[in-house]
Amino acid sequence: MSVAIQIDSLKKQYQGALEPALNGLTLQVNENTITGLLGPNGAGKTTCINILCGLVKPDSGNAEIYGVSCINEPIAVRSQIGVVPQQIALFPNMTAWENFMYIGSLYGLEKHYIRERAGNLLNRLGLEKQADKRVNRYSGGMKRRANIIASLLHEPIILILDEPTAGVDVQSRALILDFLNEYKATGKTILYTSHLLEEAERICDDVVIIDNGELIITGTPKKLILETEDCNHLEDVFLHYTGHSVRD
Amino acid sequence: MKKILATILKEWILTKRDVAGLMLLFIMPAILIIVMALVQDAPFKDYQELKFDLLVANHDNGSLSTAIIDGLKESESFTIIDSIDEKPVTEHRLKFLLQEGDYKVGIVIPKGATAEMVNAANIVANSISEKIGMGSLPSREMRDTNYVRMYFDPASKPTFRMSVSFALDKYITFSSSHILVERLAKIGGTNIDSSTTDSASQNIRPAEDFVKIFKGIGIKEKMLNEHEANAVEVTSVQHNVPAWAIFGMFFIVIPICGHLIRERDEGSAMRIELIPNARKYVSVGKILFYTLICTLQFVVMFCIGLWVIPLLGLPSLHLGTNTWVLIPVAVSIAIAATSYGYFIGVIFKTTNQAMPFGAISVVILSAMGGVWVPIDVFTPVMQKMAMISPLYWGLDAVNNITLRNGNFYDIQMHILVLLAFSTILWMISTQRNKTRYQNK
Repeated sequence: MSVAIQIDSLKKQYQGALEPALNGLTLQVNENTITGLLGPNGAGKTTCINILCGLVKPDSGNAEIYGVSCINEPIAVRSQIGVVPQQIALFPNMTAWENFMYIGSLYGLEKHYIRERAGNLLNRLGLEKQADKRVNRYSGGMKRRANIIASLLHEPIILILDEPTAGVDVQSRALILDFLNEYKATGKTILYTSHLLEEAERICDDVVIIDNGELIITGTPKKLILETEDCNHLEDVFLHYTGHSVRD
Repeated sequence: MKKILATILKEWILTKRDVAGLMLLFIMPAILIIVMALVQDAPFKDYQELKFDLLVANHDNGSLSTAIIDGLKESESFTIIDSIDEKPVTEHRLKFLLQEGDYKVGIVIPKGATAEMVNAANIVANSISEKIGMGSLPSREMRDTNYVRMYFDPASKPTFRMSVSFALDKYITFSSSHILVERLAKIGGTNIDSSTTDSASQNIRPAEDFVKIFKGIGIKEKMLNEHEANAVEVTSVQHNVPAWAIFGMFFIVIPICGHLIRERDEGSAMRIELIPNARKYVSVGKILFYTLICTLQFVVMFCIGLWVIPLLGLPSLHLGTNTWVLIPVAVSIAIAATSYGYFIGVIFKTTNQAMPFGAISVVILSAMGGVWVPIDVFTPVMQKMAMISPLYWGLDAVNNITLRNGNFYDIQMHILVLLAFSTILWMISTQRNKTRYQNK
């Protein structure tokens, strides 16, 4: 199995911060897997994703996607990845169709291709009847689904999702998770963060637990549960390694 | 290019769904232009242009009072009111009416004013004729009580008093000079030998030619060049239409910074950031779209000056003889206004910071740039400081075209300054955008 994402000794400390956001983080994500990047608040998950997208430059270390440096060649990397940010990164006063047509055209896609691609994704994620509605009139679950569609218009080989199911109802969550499994089945790689460990346990092939900007443990959910003392679920593993103290 | 067009289309979709924003961009400046043009109509008129009611208590009935009153009537600056309710205005009544504020100005020509003037002229004429051995005219000691008196409404402004005083003084001086020349001519006429044919005697003109003679001397205004010959007077309309149009264009900062900050807060700005190379196309698209809106604002405001303002009894806006030059000027102002809005939207983090700063800074820059009052009335220091304001360069460029009939050569410096202003802001904004996520 080849490596899709390779992160080596990443360090990043934001101006004015007392602690580093990343403190020598090293991890890898295998191709054609769903990998859960898990950690408590402030563990460094979002910084890690932002470095992978080329939005943030690390102080040291390296991050590569299929051998292309995220630090030196962010533009090349961005064309290969689709990022679903935690925020609903859509224009709320525009309809879903208008959003997709605009975002697709910024990727340089042809109109007919955007229509076809967005149409398929709208159907698959159950938004085809709502496509002409403005996004600000969508429910939380619909917004999340539309947010995912917008990140997939250019058919990225790697999909990075930052808490894609936060605040959505059970049906929407099930739909999203099914869809992610389907997307993986087409040969794509998915890196995903979530605080919902039950969900991660269900869909992830691998999980990476990080805390204080460092790698704590990595492996398949099953393996981690088996190898960690008195653990029956991924949540137990998580609490075992990151502790019970509340993080803000 | 497709990405830029897509951004322009997207901005149009968002703008047309923000009706309040559209109203702010077009209706508010239009109202501002109309109200300011109407309010400032009177202050913009020179006092010579206005026609004042002038109370006259004429107790003289001599040639002096006739000359003064005829002169004032001919000047078309005054409406002479010498009787009210078919009763002649007396000095007492004149003072009462001014005190009440019913009239602004009045003059009293005392009894014997003409006789006093003739006597004064005789004294001067005798003094001259004595030196050249000519005859003399009857005269007596001067009385210092028979001078023409002028009264003002106590509430009238000093500048108004000065303007009216100068106008009246002109007619009195003219009349007294006329009488003096007549007296001299009278002395000369009694002593001139009819057989004398030397050149000096041929040059003596009858007193009737007095007006003609005096028309040939004094100050006459000449034009510097052909442009100036066609120059337009600075009226309320000529000042307020371009001034408030430019002010309205700069108010584009409100929607621009509002959109930019909202897009960052909502996360759609991050989406753009994640698309390879999209940010620069999106920025260019935004600038182009708002530049188009601003240019359209300029056109609409000028149309109001041309066709709506005259319906309200004000003169129509004059566009100058090189109207086409307004296009590059309007576009340059629009680019500057848009860049300023973009800069504020990029630099400030929240709408609570950006919008008050944007609005107040535009008001300050407009005051400095001569939008509220023409910079001609500024102190020299403020006139220099005005050059800091992009609104000054925009307004001066428009004035060069509309008031001074300037051509492209006359406004190229203004365009360069406006574009330089835009480029600097653009560069700062781009740099800020590049590093936005580095220190989150």
